Amino acid sequence: MLTVTDLSVSYGPVRALNSVSLTVPPGKVTAVIGANGAGKSTLMRTLAGLVKPTSGTIALNGEMLSGLKPEEIVRRGVALVPEGRSTIPDLTVEENLRLGGLWRSKPRRTASEDRVFKLFPVLSERRHLRADTLSGGERQQLAIGRALMAGPQCLLLDEPSLGLAPKIVTQILELVSQLARETNLAVLLVEQNAVTALRVAHTGIVLHLGEIVKVGSADDIRSDEELRHAYLGY
Amino acid sequence: MTTFIDYLLGGISNGAIIALMALALVLIWRSTRVVNFAQVGQAMFTTFIALTVRDITGSWLIALLVAIAAGAILGLIVHLLVIRPVARADASGAIIATFGVLIALQALAGMIWGGDSRGFPTPVSNVGIEFAGRTWPFSLYDVVVIIVTAVLVIGLTLMFTRTNLGLSMRASAFNPEVARLSGVRVSQMLAFGWVLAGMVGAVAGILVAPVSTVSPNSFDILLVFAFTAAVIGGLDSLVGAVALGVVTGLVISLISGFSDSSNAPVVALVLLALNLLLKPDGVFGHHKARSV
Repeated sequence: MLTVTDLSVSYGPVRALNSVSLTVPPGKVTAVIGANGAGKSTLMRTLAGLVKPTSGTIALNGEMLSGLKPEEIVRRGVALVPEGRSTIPDLTVEENLRLGGLWRSKPRRTASEDRVFKLFPVLSERRHLRADTLSGGERQQLAIGRALMAGPQCLLLDEPSLGLAPKIVTQILELVSQLARETNLAVLLVEQNAVTALRVAHTGIVLHLGEIVKVGSADDIRSDEELRHAYLGY
Repeated sequence: MTTFIDYLLGGISNGAIIALMALALVLIWRSTRVVNFAQVGQAMFTTFIALTVRDITGSWLIALLVAIAAGAILGLIVHLLVIRPVARADASGAIIATFGVLIALQALAGMIWGGDSRGFPTPVSNVGIEFAGRTWPFSLYDVVVIIVTAVLVIGLTLMFTRTNLGLSMRASAFNPEVARLSGVRVSQMLAFGWVLAGMVGAVAGILVAPVSTVSPNSFDILLVFAFTAAVIGGLDSLVGAVALGVVTGLVISLISGFSDSSNAPVVALVLLALNLLLKPDGVFGHHKARSV
């Protein structure tokens, strides 16, 4: 369980996140939704250690993560798939995956790699090709695969739908949600596309101008028309 | 025709040495995005150390090994004490700082070992091999230079392509953020890039020393040729640095042979300018490599 308490982030005088508290339970997908500029990516980058919070704490199963560097946070079990093409185009598919868990013991790495290839068989077929020969959807699978190679307890997915066809996004997210259930993985999904996110999520969190305005079951949020009009624009 | 072949033969080992120095520049550019103009200064300093060790022990091999170790340590010192603090503020400031390191090392070497040129012994004969009734401009020492260079280049290639350390270094160079998110301790990889470059530069220094002699400024011209080779090779490409290093050596030898050796640096700079005008990403470079 990832626990975030009173997290605030400022970029100079601009406050991007204001006292955000949330939990990400294992085995489920928790979706953070909100319009552009709501602070979604800032939240993810802060959880992964790329942005330093001004105040507040982040803990995984009671172990404090806030203040650690990104490379140490991923080693403690929180892996981020950042927004956009987060694979390295000059490396092969296999090298991109290997990169995800270099510090781990060989048997654990092999086990993770087998699991990733089972989850995304296309990556196994293309393992010797350079990552820049992959399609957008395959590259997103590779980015998620790389994060899974760390053997995380908590997976952070930042805007995986960006630039992809809705059908492919749904496919990928359903695989992730299945993985969460089967391996007791805690997944935090951030999406501008609320419809897609709420379809696979168990819990929905609505973020607006850096503050949480609503937490509820995905169904509740989907059916709350006022909320949708006010914050999600559909 | 025989003179042409003679000049080409005479250029190979010089080209190998330029290739090594260019390789050192590329190793640092890839990790830190800094052109390390102090590289030849570091090599000069470690070669002076090697000369002292050679005088005491009488062994060329021990001198080489000590120089490599000293190159690693000096590379780490320059990175930690100068480049890292400066680069945090401003990347172009770091490049200027490497000039400062070069001048400081040259001054320090002058204070310790004096400003006079000193000879550096070769481990094997440096006299042209006699074969088929004539003396060729190619010695046993040239063979040693080529073998040492080949071993280093092959070793580095295997390290970069086959090992986890190499993968971490390549990932850190291509995309530091993704590397960090993957658990790679990128700052350690950057430091290791400086260590590796220091070692490669130290070897280049030892190999060139018998030909150029050793003084605080005697390697400066090597910087001109190595920089040309590294830039034309694409700055990001290890293969490019080696290939263009050898080519540069051959071109210099031909120009020195058919005209005058003082023309060589001018030709190198003209080639560099042409390359930047016509193919600014270098012959082996990736297009996006310079967008940073």
